[in-house]
Parts: sequence; structure tokens; C-alpha cells
Amino acid sequence: MSALLVAVLKAVVVFGGLLTTGAILSLAERKVSAWMQYRIGPNRVGPFGLLQPLADGVKFIFKEEVVPAGANRILFRLAPALAALPAMMTIAVIPFAGEVVLFGRSYGPLSVADLDIGILYLLAIGSLGVYGVILGGWASNSKYSILGSLRASAQMISYELTLILAVLAVIVLAGSLDLRRISEAQASVGAWHVWRQPLAFVLFVIATFAETNRHPFDFAESEPELVGGFHTEYSGMRFALFFLGEYMAMTVMACLTTTLFLGGPSVPFLPHAHWALGLLAFLAKAACFLFLFLWVRWTLPRFRFDQLMRLGWKVALPLALLNLVATGVAVSW
Amino acid sequence: MVIVRRKELSLAEKLYLPEVARGLSITFRKMFAKRSTRQYPEVPLPKTAVTRGQPRLVVKDDGNIACVSCGLCEAACPAYAITIDGGETERPIEREPVRFDIDMLRCILCGFCEEACPKDAIFMSDELELADYSRQALVYDMHKLKRPRSAMQARIQYVERINDRWKTSSST
Repeated sequence: MSALLVAVLKAVVVFGGLLTTGAILSLAERKVSAWMQYRIGPNRVGPFGLLQPLADGVKFIFKEEVVPAGANRILFRLAPALAALPAMMTIAVIPFAGEVVLFGRSYGPLSVADLDIGILYLLAIGSLGVYGVILGGWASNSKYSILGSLRASAQMISYELTLILAVLAVIVLAGSLDLRRISEAQASVGAWHVWRQPLAFVLFVIATFAETNRHPFDFAESEPELVGGFHTEYSGMRFALFFLGEYMAMTVMACLTTTLFLGGPSVPFLPHAHWALGLLAFLAKAACFLFLFLWVRWTLPRFRFDQLMRLGWKVALPLALLNLVATGVAVSW
Repeated sequence: MVIVRRKELSLAEKLYLPEVARGLSITFRKMFAKRSTRQYPEVPLPKTAVTRGQPRLVVKDDGNIACVSCGLCEAACPAYAITIDGGETERPIEREPVRFDIDMLRCILCGFCEEACPKDAIFMSDELELADYSRQALVYDMHKLKRPRSAMQARIQYVERINDRWKTSSST
């Protein structure tokens, strides 16, 4: 089997996994919200409602695609794709597991691309997600959309700094920009960066919520004030793409958190575990983190916008800087 | 003017994160609490004699309805849902309806017809579900409104009991 075929196969597996996770998350969101509100949730389509995402997908595809009058048609159609694309691109550098050995043959480590500067690539492409949001809002020719997208872009840019500074502290500790090297630096539970960098972890999680426009920072689509925010005017599959993009961005962020702070594919107390076990451990950690996203959404109310900005610029950013300086001093000592 | 003094927040509350954890623990516990969902179409709602559903004409044991088309229910109906045309009959009651329609889309299930009826011909059943493909199909005629007495027993007894209570209280 040629190396190209292996690479394509890995891409298909990872990409398919990402899309499936997005679909599962749309069901999980409704199920978790239902459980937290003494309800049962979707249970009509398939056993336990497991086929609900499929039904939703069919519904979205058959819905009419409305393009509002006065909208910029090209940008209006481009924006949902732009919103979903960064997550699809960034998942490539996530190192899911170590060396894959199947039937006595090694197929290299399980990640689509092992970049030396994986984390830089991920952050750079990841921040392109804001384009989808702001173009979607602007091209809609609607005041709710433009207000939502303006808020979203202001928020994403503000928290991008905190996010990167929190990641930088981890990079300083691991001494590498390579995500695989970073995750390998946390082979034992004690070495997980979540213990060595608790402040960076908390800041990173907060910034992640803001970056993915999730509760309690979902100002982009705050329903009571902005109808639906930047995707007010969207319908059908384009609307679904925004949603899928959000869920996929959450998935990538969960994977990134696992890699940076939770030891990646390392299994607790089993230093030389099988690669499949490592993959399972990685997925379990990421799933827990994804659950946190849902859990927080159905618990916390939305902030006010000025509170969000104050938290971002006056609290999170100075703390992240302080943490970075302290880490730098401690490492060079 | 009312001055509302906000509660001073303690340091832990100002830090926000402990309170977040508290909130998260509450929602997590609630995930395993008892569900309050009713699986409605499969598991119907509990019904009692007090349940006031759609009005129905009670069919007596001899196969006739007691209605003499006096028009009292028609007059009592606040939604103008009832339409009655009377006619003659060979039976000792001499009059009976040839047409007795209730527009179920207008009916508000108030029970005034049941109260107005001097012949105990109309009672509120426990039937609440109403769905069809046309408005005309939901204008129920006499045949659709007929229900055997056995199916209405609980409601009839309940109404008789209430009426008896009124009688005794007015006589004393």
C-alpha cells in the first residue's frame, strides 16, 4: 500500500469521524438539555432517538433556501462554507493516537498531518472561522445579522489573545510547537499540563467557550435580543452548515484541549498502552470535554456584552500574561 | 422611589468560578432525577368524572335519546356551537330533534349545555381529542354525538350528585 493511499485513508477516517461527531453532538445537545430539565428528549426516530440527526439532515436538505432581498448573493452563499471549513482543516493536525499497527504493519501515527508547527497552523486557521460569521451577517442585509456578527467578531478577537497566551504557557513548558511532542511530553498522569498549568487550563477553557460562541458567551446568536444573530436570515442546509461548523469547532477544541492539557492519547497508569487503547482514551477525554460544553450551556445564563468584554480584557488577558511570565521565569530558572 | 440595594458579593461569589461549579453540580444531579414527561399519545392522561370533555347525547336503554329539542342548550351555548331543528314523533315525548349539530371547532367545553338540559339528554364526555382533515368533518351530527349510557355512567352520576347537593342546600 502506497504512502499516499494511507494518507488518504487517514484523512477519510478523521474527517468522517469529525462529521459524525458533529451530527451526534446535535442530538446530544438536545438529549442533555432534556435530561437537565426533567425531560426525555428526542425519542421518536430510531431507538432512543438515535436517528434524529439523520431526520434533521433530511429535513434541512429539503427545506427552501431563502436568500433575502438586497443580500450579497455570493458572500451569502460563501459564508456558511467559510464557517464550517476551519474546523475541517484544523482537525488534520490533531494527534489522535500513537503509531498505528494493523496486522503486523505500521501505518505511522494516527493524525492526518504531523506538522512541526501544528499548533500555529491550528490557531491560524482556527481564527479564520470569524470570517464565516462576519460575512454571513454582513451579506444577509439584516440589522440583526450584522449586530450579531459584529458582536461575534469582537468577542472572538478579544478571546483569541487569551487563548493563544494560555497555549503559549503550555508551549513554553513542552518546548515545542509540534502537537505530537506536546502530547508526548505528558506521558504520565502527573505530567499532564492540567496539573502543571491549572491557571492556563481554566483560561483556555473560558477562551474556548468564547471562541466557539458557546454559552455563556453565545452573543453571536443571543436569541432574545438578536432573533438568531448572524444566521437569522439563513435557512435549510446553509443554516445547518453554521450549526455543523459550531459543533465541529467544539470538537476540534475538545481535541486540542485533550492534546494540550489532558495528556492526549496517554492512558492513566498504563505508560505503554496499545495504540487502540490510547485512541480510546483520547476520544473519551475529548467526549468528556464536549459534555462540558453542553453541560455549561444548559446551566449558565448568558453574560452581558460589557461583562464579557471586561472579563476578556481586564481579567483573562492580564492573568494569561502573568501566567506566561511566571511560566517563563520558572522554566528558565 | 425605591432604592434596591444589591447584596454584597463575597470573594468566592465575585470569582464566579465556585458559583459556576455549584450550578453545574445542580444540573448534573438533575440529570438523574425523575422525568416528568408524559408519553402522551401512548399513555393517555388520567381521566375522572370531573373531566369535562366534549358534549355527547346519551342514548337511553331503549335506544332513543332523551332530547325533546327544547332549544335550551342552544340558547345557553356561549359559543353558538349548537344547532337544533325539532320535529314530531309518535313517542310519548311528542317532540324530538331531526337535526342536532354541535360544531366541535366552536365548542369551548364549558358544560353550559349539560347544565341547561332539563331532560338529562346531554352530558360532557371524557373525550378530548379532536382532529380531522376538514372543518366540515368536525361539525358533529346526531349520530356522531350519540354515546351509550354505560360509557357516560361516571359523569352522569357525578352531575346527579352535584345537583342533589344544590337541592338540599336550597331547601334548608
